[in-house]
Amino acid sequence: MSMNWVEIIWTMMATASLTLGFVHLLVWFEQRSRYASLAFFVITTSVAAFSASELSMMEAQTPAAYASALRWAHVPICMIALSIIAFVHFHFGSGRRWLAYAAAAFRFLTLFLNFTTGENINFEEVTALEHVPLWGGIAAAVPVGSPSLWQIVTQIGNLLLVAFVVDASITLWRRGDPVARRRAALVGGSIVLFIIGVTGLAVFILAGAVRAPTVLTPGFLVIVLAMAYELSWEVIAAAQLAAKLHTSEINLRASEEQFRAVVESVPNAILLVDDAGKVTLTNPQAQALFGYGREELVGRQVELLIPEWYRYAHESHCQSDAADARARLMTIARERYALHKDGSQVPVKLVLRSMRTVDASFVLVSLEDVTEQRQNERTAARQRDEIAHLSRVATLGELSGSLAHEINQPLMGILSNAQAAQRFLARDDVNLDEVREILADIVEDNKRAGEVIKRLRALLKKGEMQKRPLDINSVVDDVVRLTRNDLVNRSVALSTELTPDLPSVFGDQIHLQQVLLNLVMNACEAMESVVKTPQVHIRTRRTDGGVEISVADLGGGIPPGDLERIFAPFVTTKEHGIGLGLSICRTIIDAHGGRLWAENNGEGATVRCAFSLSDHAE
Amino acid sequence: MTSGTPVVFVVDDDASVLKGLKRLLCSAGFTSETFASATEFLDRYDQNAAGCVILDLAMPDFDGLQMQKALTERGSVLPIIFLTGHGDIATSVQAMKAGAVDFLTKPVTDEALFAAVHTAIQRCQALYRAREETAIIRCRVATLTPREREVLTHLLSGKLNKQIAADLGTVEHTIKVHRARVMQKMQARTFAALVRFAERAGIAATPPAES
Repeated sequence: MSMNWVEIIWTMMATASLTLGFVHLLVWFEQRSRYASLAFFVITTSVAAFSASELSMMEAQTPAAYASALRWAHVPICMIALSIIAFVHFHFGSGRRWLAYAAAAFRFLTLFLNFTTGENINFEEVTALEHVPLWGGIAAAVPVGSPSLWQIVTQIGNLLLVAFVVDASITLWRRGDPVARRRAALVGGSIVLFIIGVTGLAVFILAGAVRAPTVLTPGFLVIVLAMAYELSWEVIAAAQLAAKLHTSEINLRASEEQFRAVVESVPNAILLVDDAGKVTLTNPQAQALFGYGREELVGRQVELLIPEWYRYAHESHCQSDAADARARLMTIARERYALHKDGSQVPVKLVLRSMRTVDASFVLVSLEDVTEQRQNERTAARQRDEIAHLSRVATLGELSGSLAHEINQPLMGILSNAQAAQRFLARDDVNLDEVREILADIVEDNKRAGEVIKRLRALLKKGEMQKRPLDINSVVDDVVRLTRNDLVNRSVALSTELTPDLPSVFGDQIHLQQVLLNLVMNACEAMESVVKTPQVHIRTRRTDGGVEISVADLGGGIPPGDLERIFAPFVTTKEHGIGLGLSICRTIIDAHGGRLWAENNGEGATVRCAFSLSDHAE
Repeated sequence: MTSGTPVVFVVDDDASVLKGLKRLLCSAGFTSETFASATEFLDRYDQNAAGCVILDLAMPDFDGLQMQKALTERGSVLPIIFLTGHGDIATSVQAMKAGAVDFLTKPVTDEALFAAVHTAIQRCQALYRAREETAIIRCRVATLTPREREVLTHLLSGKLNKQIAADLGTVEHTIKVHRARVMQKMQARTFAALVRFAERAGIAATPPAES
């Protein structure tokens, strides 16, 4: 049996509608929140169903068949109306609810009356069918019968639906953006026009004023196309948005990867700590430094990584008002030790940076394991101490005659006093007062010799630099005592100008004595067979923010080009020198955070040694 | 002319050494005087006193050797005992050559010190004695007449009376008388004693005449 063109067109319209509907059903499956797409799918299936009903109405052979087809056609119509309400509601996001409910209620009522009164909502009874010829020799059935009064319910429902859509469209239009306006005009307009058209047509047809078949499917298809157009726009926009999102996500991921790569490849250990003191990010270096795995560190309190011996101080610090994340870590910054998982303490160099994101603040902790550095420093310090010791021994060797004198003087005193006492005691008339005095003198001399030996032992001792607050003047006094006899033998006049009550310098007594000893000996040697009346002048004084010792001689000075060179190792101006004295002196003073340099004073050289007081606080 | 008790002068810049030495010397019955510097000593010491000087080799103003020189220049015969904390050979040789009695290293024991002091004082006393004798002899020489002095110088050259008479153009008997006078005035009992006295007084013999 071949199909006529009406059947072909109506089938095509149904198929087109369904195709569009299924596309959007898929969209809804992908994005369940798109209820507009679901509503659209219901509309399209309903339109397809309606087109079938309409076709059977047009092709009905008996009035009863027509009435039945019309009755059943109201089911998809009801679905279409309800779906339109849903579509407008979800897609426009506007419209008064009560209008929507009212329209839906009247539509349900229509459906109810459709099945309970007369043959359907439109006719009490279809009495006959007329066949209206269409183009191409085909005739469509047109009903003749008594209309149902209940039709008024349908019309009210339609009016309510129009009111709802108009209201929703106007609201949408007022939002003003072009997309919203297009949507309001296109969808809202087509729905309103169609409903008004259909309602009008139905009124005329059913009133018998127009003899024409009810041809609603094309109109429904227009609505479907308008909606599809709108929805497609939305899908396209969504796709564009998704593409944009995708791009930005790729960028984000790339930058995140970059960030991660940076964090993981920096040589320092990195911890990110939030203001609750929890570790939120680490890198492999941090895990290696502390000996914990990533999952063991992230989320733990940062106190875990602070040695216990100052955790107490740390906690009290945290309880203070300013206990933000930065303050929480301050103790590490000061102490510079990190607690390893195995309980050992790792010396670290630490840098803190506070960071603030939109909703939280963090502290970025960058730690550098300085164990090796410390070890190297210790090795260097040991070597320096050893060289300093050798140089001291050498210096004392040069001074040995003078030192022997220093010891022999009190020994001489002791011996002569003791032997005198023996002799006095051997007499018959012992003068005990005299003997008491003698014993007191012996004790004094003994102490004196002991002091000299103690000083010598200290100088000869091999040991680490031990810094403590020192009175510079006492260092000068010691050196003056040690060199006094040597200077006498060399006929060098030594004068001192010591500023009293100088602030103390944080240093090692022995090492500073050594430096001064060297400077004094150098001064003497510089003047040997150069001046008739050699003089050495030692002076201590306050400077801007520090203390200075200077040793001046009259030895003719140092060529300006050599003023700095003399501090280099193996540079010497002496016949038998090895050129280490001043270089060692400089090393020692450097280790004290001080400065050692030489100047010419017109008649000779002045070597100055300056200590800044700010260094002592450490 | 010498004062009776010998005095030990101690010069050292170290007060406790000075005190100890003074006591020790005192315990052995020596009289001592102490000085804290060479300058002080040179300014104050009793130039007529007999005794000796104990001198620290290392002094701020003068060193020991300089002081030795200064003393010699002043005509002092006070023997010097050097004390040193560290005796190096060069210095000690130099000191001994310049007339030091001893060179002691600190700390010095009482025996060594006393021995050195005894030696020094004896030497000083001997020197003073010799000086006195010389003075006496010089006085005696002063009593001789020019002719007698002339005869004396000829006698010292070991000539016979006859030869002297021939040299002076007189007779042997006259020479004999002069000779007896000289012996008497010089209080020399033997010719040998006369020769010794003349030597002490610094009178030289007349060179033997060329025949």
